[in-house]
Amino acid sequence: MPEQILLRGGRVVCPVSGADAVLDVHIADGLVAEVGANLGVSGAREIDCSGRIVAPGWTDLGAELCDPGLCYREDLTSGSEAGAAGGFTTVVASPKTEPVVDTPAVAADVVARSKEVPGARILQSGALTLGLRGESLAEVGLLVEAGCVALSDGRKAMANADILRRTLQYVHPFGVPVFLRPGEPSLEKDGVMHEGRASMHAGLRGIPAAAEEIGIARIVALVRATGARVHLSQVTTAAGLKRVQMAKSEGLPLTATVPARHLLLNDEEVEASVYNTSTRLLPPLRSEDDRKACIQALHDGVLDGVTADHVPWTRVAKELEYMHARKGANGLETALGATWAALEGDAQAVVRALAIGPAAVLGQEPRVTSGSVADLVVFEPAQDWTVTAPYKSRGGYDPLEGRALPAAVCLTVVAGRVVYGPRTGGA
Amino acid sequence: MNRKDLLGLKDVTADEITEILDTAVGFRAISERRIKKVPTLRGRTVVTFFMENSTRTRLSFDLAAKRLSADTLGFSASSSATKKGETLMDTARNIDAMKPDAIIIRHSAAGSPHMLAKAFPWSVLNAGDGINEHPSQALLDMLTMRDHLGDLSGKRVAIVGDVFHSRVARSNIFGLKTMGADVVVAGPGTMCPPQMAHLGVEVKHRIDEVVEGADVVMMLRIQRERLGAAMMSTVREYSRFYGLDLDRLRRASPDTLVMHPGPINRGVEMTPDVADGPQSVILEQVTNGVAVRMALLYLLLGGEPLGEDGA
Repeated sequence: MPEQILLRGGRVVCPVSGADAVLDVHIADGLVAEVGANLGVSGAREIDCSGRIVAPGWTDLGAELCDPGLCYREDLTSGSEAGAAGGFTTVVASPKTEPVVDTPAVAADVVARSKEVPGARILQSGALTLGLRGESLAEVGLLVEAGCVALSDGRKAMANADILRRTLQYVHPFGVPVFLRPGEPSLEKDGVMHEGRASMHAGLRGIPAAAEEIGIARIVALVRATGARVHLSQVTTAAGLKRVQMAKSEGLPLTATVPARHLLLNDEEVEASVYNTSTRLLPPLRSEDDRKACIQALHDGVLDGVTADHVPWTRVAKELEYMHARKGANGLETALGATWAALEGDAQAVVRALAIGPAAVLGQEPRVTSGSVADLVVFEPAQDWTVTAPYKSRGGYDPLEGRALPAAVCLTVVAGRVVYGPRTGGA
Repeated sequence: MNRKDLLGLKDVTADEITEILDTAVGFRAISERRIKKVPTLRGRTVVTFFMENSTRTRLSFDLAAKRLSADTLGFSASSSATKKGETLMDTARNIDAMKPDAIIIRHSAAGSPHMLAKAFPWSVLNAGDGINEHPSQALLDMLTMRDHLGDLSGKRVAIVGDVFHSRVARSNIFGLKTMGADVVVAGPGTMCPPQMAHLGVEVKHRIDEVVEGADVVMMLRIQRERLGAAMMSTVREYSRFYGLDLDRLRRASPDTLVMHPGPINRGVEMTPDVADGPQSVILEQVTNGVAVRMALLYLLLGGEPLGEDGA
């Protein structure tokens, strides 16, 4: 039985209920028992939260947790702990594992093992297509039955429009959202960074912004044709955001997130870091104009939130020539800092971006009100910290490494249980 | 010059370029002697590490090191451990364990020399990394230009061909801009895309437009492997629109220099009468290459000062 906790005197930021005030939060039996000023509760472990923000915990919709099969990079335990350290209370694992989560047997195994994790709760996304190859449908109905909450091909962009159309038609009745990374593989195959001034200067081949725009345009047209509910997992360009905005104003069931680091870093980082392979990402770090457009889109609601875009790698994959290094980097432990810095401490916007928006894609409405599940994060906005290895994640590469970020996570609570932060005594 | 490495010309100052070229002029005389060797780098070890095919550049560096009395050892893609799955960093760690003084690296991946320079104490000379830079080539080009034109400031250099994929062009652009020259590029839209303008050059698509008024016309090698990737149609069409022949060259002044980093596709980038004509300085470029590379090794490795019998 989880202990009772009293979060004393924190600033409760709960966009769903509209609360934004200094309040106490009493947690009992895995739920938020009561929220109010100067609560008198006996027998609860009291944690001083003054100067800190108490918010519903974050949700990430697509982290590569690499379990089963690639556990040297991450496993359910380390991924869950990395999530908790970053303030995430729910992490949806990508089906990009070995074997891929494209059969009910594999799905059932991960779903079962996910119930035992020590940190953030882990939900599973099943494969849309067999082997994530974009060629033939996986048994998506059976995957949903086995407990998958969403379907996706991970970071693989689907090249064939006809297969994408049939996939969306087929999946639609099963009622789970489809997560897609928008892209045009033929335009992405040679590039290693964003195409523009910075790629010209760095002497690296670029991926044009058009690759993302084409991907989004194709998905939007097929969402309109099929009525399927699609979440664009990584939108990073101004041109792409315009397409998303148009689709949303049309009323299409489309949502979108941006990698948190893309709010803070631009493509100049590749050369500024002297070809540091932590900056080798897909989608790549974009231009300064794109970066600003993403921040604006979060404010405007064109973007529903951020993703940690967590793709952990070890030296084997990253201590290589820039073009040969694998794409992706850690993200779970730095998403809050990046988002807080980019949104300049607009607490409501940050909580919407990390918690409310992504959770809504799963049909959830996280809140800090009496009777809600106690999935909470407590963080100290004024406390700067420097991103340094080692991480909770097994991945060792984060392009934000060495930077001072604001907003340090103090406490993460999942179902009333402290999963990150001081497990006993005061905080 | 106070640097450990030469990774590109992007961040090299005008003073440094002048110092390198002046030093190269001093070394040029050594190659004219009967005994073509000075003891400047005696006891130093220079490794040529070529992960991409090269004849001219590797020979030139090798010769430059030998004429300075350095011990050289070569290492190439075909003989290398990478074929057996070793990473570049691990190969470099092994070379490091043998205590070299400088490594001259050519690699298909941009940024590879930078990676080694960051990780190891020895000097790294970039002999070509992907489509990024090839600084020693640009320096020998600039030395050749300076020999004929004097001060490069205000001079107009036209670069024609596959500029986008050319590390030679990029290093020349960086270096020439630093020295105050104007650079104009021309080639098919796929090889001279508009974003080239980010490098501070004028982008044109007709060769006649850039030959006229140019002090230097630098023709780039066209790589036939580009044919497959919708980069160009046919060699015939390429040479019709972008090849340099005598008729086109007449649009320039009779003093305009014709350059090419080699190897030439005769009849494609330029006709033989241009390549072998009086305005061509292509073989001078090669001669200057050895002198420039001697200067680079000397300046980076801090050899013995040039004495009476030095240069």
